[in-house]
Amino acid sequence: MLPLSLLRTAQNHPMLVELKNGETYNGHLVSCDNWMNINLREVICTSRDGDKFWRMPECYIRGSTIKYLRIPDEVIDMVKSRSRSEVSKGRGGGQNMRTGRGGNRGAFGNRGRPAPLARGGGNQGRNPQQNKNKK
Amino acid sequence: MASKEGGDKGKSSQGAGDNKEKRRKESILDLSKYLEKSIRVKFAGGREAAGILKGYDPLLNLVLDNTTEFLRDPDDPYKLLDDTRALGLVVCRGTSVVLICPMDGMEAIPNPFITQEG
Repeated sequence: MLPLSLLRTAQNHPMLVELKNGETYNGHLVSCDNWMNINLREVICTSRDGDKFWRMPECYIRGSTIKYLRIPDEVIDMVKSRSRSEVSKGRGGGQNMRTGRGGNRGAFGNRGRPAPLARGGGNQGRNPQQNKNKK
Repeated sequence: MASKEGGDKGKSSQGAGDNKEKRRKESILDLSKYLEKSIRVKFAGGREAAGILKGYDPLLNLVLDNTTEFLRDPDDPYKLLDDTRALGLVVCRGTSVVLICPMDGMEAIPNPFITQEG
């Protein structure tokens, strides 16, 4: 379950978006992209203090300014069914997916273990050289 | 002259390849529908302005004309006052744009949530 998958599934659903500046926006999600930029329609904007309200037919919000989004509970069931159907269509069976994932984990694990040593060694190797070069 | 033409041809063939990639990256926001219309823009840090959209780019940099800024409470940069000041022709930096909405249809309303809560 990826956050952006859930958000994509929530298109055409009502939601609440709180921005980092404290304002909240209630509206129906029209579209979103990989930066979490979103388009809302039939929006009600609430000020930070919750004392002022504006109605706007539509608005565009930059993803990087979002604090969180509240999404209807039923959307989570839709995202599960969709991801299963995608898996069966795209990868040809769950077992293949598992072995595929396991392979990735192993690969990352192997990379990860020597990495601290490699980094440490690399730094020890590099820093003196850089220092020598600077001196 | 001949070499320049050759160069142009090369660029145009590259451009065709780029267009395919750009289709995927196409913005979910079509600002062309707001051209020559009045829009409200909120910025990171709390500044807000309204103006007529004259131009834009994919980075959300905007050109606004007849822009008015909505002045804020000196003690609370996110609290708007009723005062405005005229800014005229403005280029808005895309990275600091938080929200864009059309001024047409935007209105202050009484609390719409009271009926639901009560």
